[in-house]
This record gives sequence, C-alpha cells and structure tokens, in this order.
Amino acid sequence: MQEINQLMLHNRAWATEQVAEDPQFFTRHVADQKPVFLWIGCSDSRVAPDQFTQAVPGGLFIHRNIANLVQPGDANLMAVMDFAVGTLNIDRIVVCGHYGCGGIKAALGGPTPGPLGDWLQHAVNVYDDHRDEIDAMPDAEARANRLVECNVRDQLLHVAATAPVRAAWAAGRDLELHGWVYDLRDGLLKTLLEIDRNTDLGDVDRPERVLL
Amino acid sequence: MSDQTADSAYVAAKHGIFSSWRTDVPASIVVALVALPLCLGVALASGAPLFAGLIAGIVGGIVVGMISGSPLSVSGPAAGLTAIVFTAIEGLPSYETFLLAVVLAGIFQIGFSLTRGGVLAEFVPSSVITGMLAAIGLILILKQLPHAIGYDGEPEGELSFWQRDGSNTMSTLFEMFRNDIVWGAALIAIISLLFLFWWDKARPKDGPLRLLPGPLVVVAFGITANMFFLLAAPSIAIAPSHMVNVPVSNSPEEFLALFRLPTFGAIGNGAVWTIALTLAIVASLESLLSVKAVDEIDPKRRVTDKNRELLAQGTGNIVSGLLGGIPITSVIVRSSANVDAGADSRLSTVLHAVWLLLSVAFIPFVLNLIPLSALAAILIATGYKLAKPKLFTDRWKQGFTQFIPFVATVIAILLTDLLVGIVIGLLIGLAFVIWRNLADVITYVDIDNAVMVRAKRNLYFIHKVQLQAALSRIPDDHDVLIDLSGTNFVDLDNIDIINTFIKGAPFRNLRVVIKGDPRGNLAPLINAPLTNNRAT
Repeated sequence: MQEINQLMLHNRAWATEQVAEDPQFFTRHVADQKPVFLWIGCSDSRVAPDQFTQAVPGGLFIHRNIANLVQPGDANLMAVMDFAVGTLNIDRIVVCGHYGCGGIKAALGGPTPGPLGDWLQHAVNVYDDHRDEIDAMPDAEARANRLVECNVRDQLLHVAATAPVRAAWAAGRDLELHGWVYDLRDGLLKTLLEIDRNTDLGDVDRPERVLL
Repeated sequence: MSDQTADSAYVAAKHGIFSSWRTDVPASIVVALVALPLCLGVALASGAPLFAGLIAGIVGGIVVGMISGSPLSVSGPAAGLTAIVFTAIEGLPSYETFLLAVVLAGIFQIGFSLTRGGVLAEFVPSSVITGMLAAIGLILILKQLPHAIGYDGEPEGELSFWQRDGSNTMSTLFEMFRNDIVWGAALIAIISLLFLFWWDKARPKDGPLRLLPGPLVVVAFGITANMFFLLAAPSIAIAPSHMVNVPVSNSPEEFLALFRLPTFGAIGNGAVWTIALTLAIVASLESLLSVKAVDEIDPKRRVTDKNRELLAQGTGNIVSGLLGGIPITSVIVRSSANVDAGADSRLSTVLHAVWLLLSVAFIPFVLNLIPLSALAAILIATGYKLAKPKLFTDRWKQGFTQFIPFVATVIAILLTDLLVGIVIGLLIGLAFVIWRNLADVITYVDIDNAVMVRAKRNLYFIHKVQLQAALSRIPDDHDVLIDLSGTNFVDLDNIDIINTFIKGAPFRNLRVVIKGDPRGNLAPLINAPLTNNRAT
C-alpha cells in the first residue's frame, strides 16, 4: 500500500473512532479554540508534543522550528506569540528542547553557510555564551546535551523579552514560562527552569543538568 | 505463487461453477463413494429406514448444494444427530410423524437464517475449529479401524465416544481383535492405505493421471480383489455383511414406494414441535461448525455466508422430510473427503448426490460389491489428513493460548461428542480471553505530590483486584487524578471501589478529581469532581 493511502486511511479511521467515542468531538471544535499552552519546540519528527503529553486537540498551540530557537527577528514566531498571548490569552508558554537535537549538534561545529547555517547562527551564539561550561564536558554527547539545556534557558529568556509577554506581565497576568527537555531515550519530559513575572531576568542561572 | 498464476486463478474463479469440472467430477465420485456407507450407517444408527439416509444424502447434495454459498461443504445425514433422531422416532407415533418434525425443523432453520443466526459461527475461535477437525480425524481413524479389518459391530458414521451398545470407541478397538479378523478385508484395507499414501506423494503433476483420484482406484481394487478372493481363496473372501448394503428394488414401483410422506395431521402434536426445535438448533449448530471448519481447510480460503447456509440447510430439511428422509446437516467427513479429492466448487457436492441417486436407482447391485474395508481405508487416509502431527506441532508453535484450547477440544470431542466437546473448547477459549484481558489494565504514575491512576481499557469485575491495588498504593496527602478517559464502560463493581476510595479520601488528605469517559456516562456515577484541566 502507498504511504499516502495508508495515511489517509488512518485519518478516516481516527475521525470515525473519535465520533464513535464522543459524538460531540468535532462539533465542539468547530465553535472555537481555547488552548492552554503555547508550545515552542523542535521540528524533529521524533519529538511530537501532543503525543507524548497526550494533549487533546485544542490543548496545545504549537510552534516548531529547528532547534526550538526564539529569534526576535523571526516574523513567524512573533506573530504566533502575538496571537497566542495577546488574542488567545494563553498564560503558559513552554520552550522544549530535546536529547539528540541535530540543530544543536550542528551548532557545536560552528557557523556554516546557507539558509540552515544562517538559522543556526542563533544557536552558535548560545554555544559561544556558554562555551566555558560546554567545552569542559567530557565527551561529544555530554557537550550536545549541555548545549540543548543552555539553549532552552537562553530561548526562554528571549521569550520573556518579547512584547506580548512583557505586556501580559505589565497587565498583571499570571503568565508562566517553562523550560523543559524531552529525553528521546526514555520518553520523559524533564524540567529545567521556570520564569514568571517576579523573576529577575538579569539573574537567571544556568539550569541543573538533567540530560545525563 | 507468481502474480501471473494468481491472476489466472482469479480469472478462472470468475467463470462460474462449471469451469472447474475437470477436478469437480472426479471428486464428486469419490465423495459419493464415501457418502454411500455413511448415509446407510447414519440411517441405521438413527433407527430409520436405510433408504431414508440415502434420501437425506441426495437432498443434502442437490438441494443444499444448489442453495448453499459454501463451495466445498457437503451436506447429508449427520452422525451428530443420530441420538436425537433415534429417540424421536421411538417416541413419536410413526416414522411419518417424525418426518413432519423434520419439515418443521427446516422451517425453523429458515427462521434462524432470516434472523441472522448464522453469525454465531463466527464466535468459535479457530483453535477450537481446528481442534474439532483434528478430533474428527482421530475419530475417523479409530472408528474405521474395525471396519478396515472386517469388524462391523457398529454402524458406519458414528462419532460419539460412548456408543449406544454400551461400549465405547476404545473398547470397540479391543473387541475387534478378539473377533475373527476377516483377512480378505484386512488385506484390502492395508494395500489400499499403502496405495493412498503413496499416490498422495507420487501423483504426477501433469498428464491425464493427475486427475485420477486415489479413492476410486481403491474402490475398484477392493471390488476386483474380493472377486479374486471368491474365485481363488474363498476362505478369506469378504461376506456381504462387510460390504455396502444398498436396498435393491426390483421394479420402479417398488423403488418409488421407498419414499414416504409426512403425516401433516400431527401438526397439533406438541412433541413434534419440541423435536423440530431441538433438531433445528442442533442441526444448525452442526452445520455452522462444519461449514466454518470446511472454510478453514479450503485451499482458496473462501468464506461462506453463514446465513445463506442456514437457509440452504432449512430448505434441505424441508425437502428431505417431505420425501421421507432423515434430517440433514453439513458434514465434515464427507466435506473433507471432498476437499481432499480436489473439489473446487459446489458442482462436486451437487454431482455427488446425482451419482448417489443414479447408482441407487439403477445399479444398486454394483454398489453392493464394494467392501466396507476399502471405504474404511479411504476414510482413515482422510482422517490422517485432518489429524496430521504437523497440525499439532503448528499449534504448539503458536503458543499455549492456541495450543491448550486446541488440545482440550480434541480430547473433549474424543471422549464425549461434537457439541459437548466444542462447548468445552469454547469455555477454555473464553477463559483465555478473560486471562488475556486481566493483565495490566491499570497504569499508576506519580510526580512530586500528584498521582494518576488510569484505566487503559474497560473495567469489568475481573479487574477489581488491580484497581483496588492501585488505589491502595496512593500515599496520603496527594492530588489524585482517576483517569477513565480510555474506557467507554466501567462496571458497577469498579465504580463502587472508586466511590469507596473517594469517601475515605478526605481522611487521608487526598484531593481526588476524575476524568470520565468521552461520552460522559461515568462521571455522574462517581462522587468526585471532574478535572477542569483542558489540555489533556
């Protein structure tokens, strides 16, 4: 059977089963979306947030890019933030890195030419900022793991610096930012750090190591 | 099979029932030869006129064969019904009254068909069906051995362990050695068996000989060998009592007089209705099991429409009853002989009845030259194919959840009879279903001060222990989520356990919330708030 047909058949089966278990399933969705989390994660095909959190459709508002980077000049992500925080009133934002991230491994090798290299320059900058600790790691795997973790911290700070988040905090909203990593090896989410409106953004430490 | 041959097989299959006559015609002759003594034997064991068995066989082939959707099943008088038929004929005022019960049974069966009763057959697991086939194979071998050496103490076609004469399969086997062995019969059986097994391997792949069925050779050999014994060695020749014994009529009038009509006046007799219903139920079950089993040994693995089969069986019984025949079911021994002989379509089963009719009407004296031991050899070879050691080793390799119901069915059928054996096999199969569903239905996870107890599947009373154990694991002073969203049914036993747990929760400082089933049927039954989290 062709891949495309099997994919379509799975869709048919899923839709049928949803209605069989819960006749209101699609009717509810047509009305509106009220997601609880904004998820900023990696595009890696193995890291599917609504599968490993078992989130329901309507639960997560998702933005994925290579190496889960938050670049102030990224019009796509800035639009997502604007809509999610400003319009959907989401108060929980997750930045989630993951074990074995290809973008992070590439960044450890330094700058490269081409669109992908341009994109990853942002991660190379993270590496530069934490070089002292990362280079002290015993092997390549540990260095990559540590850059994954430092990258989540730095990107979370970028999120905190965006206009929609600052506006939400200024308005007194209880908006929280969570930095996590997903460990491909055991399927578990591991928490790194948390930022809320009381956090001193100038004094956020590097997180404890969790990818061991 | 290459794509090309698969394609041509597909094309051939589309060409209607006459396209496969090359294999169906020889197969039909083999089946007719096998059916002949079985029809007579079942009639004898049923306490019915011998000719009634032949009527049932002919109607089973022609009427049921034409209507049924099963390509390979053969219907006729069934050993499994002999006990019921025997007592019914004894208890009713006349044989003709019994015929009315047969007609009514047929009408009931059509009723079952219209109410889609045929689906029942699909609930029997294949381990039990193949167990039934293997058991029948073993029974064939055990029950035919005495016939093979000329000990015909028991009518042909009997399948029950306990026989009506008070003996059983095993005691009959010992009995046969204490009697005088008919050496002519034994000789014919042994040579026939050797030939059949050899022919099975040595049969040429092409040329005209490829279509020659071994059983035909065996029957021809049996007749000639016995003629030779009569001339050359009369002391070992087989007496007529060990040969096929078809009623011979001397004139067309005498032949027609063998057919009888039901007594329709007995329609008000309650016993007739009771017997009719019993017959209808048992015959339907036997037919469904048999058809299901035949589908299992069909080389092309075609699937028979079971409701249409009940319609065919019902019509068959109406016609059989109207003509004076005993009740019909689909029968495994003849069907597997049919498969074995290479039949491909219903043409074979229909033709077998045509040969029965023609030979009984015109050449009964030739049929009566066939030694039962030659037919016994054919049935023993068929039995071996049904109960091959490979069947047992294959099931063994599939693991004990397959092997145990299989073997249990084999043993139960060997020691009791078909229906009781199947029921025992089914119960063991069900026990495995319960056992498989018992394992690991609850997930227990925790982080910091939160715990989730989740049902992966529906919860039934068999899961009470697991649910109770998971809830007991929860330490004091925690947030608790009981997640039932993976279910669409939780029985009241388990709801009770959850509610009891919730009642005790405040005393342990547990804050319990529920995630119900997607339809929202369970939440109202449970005395805890629903979780108001939306993302998961």
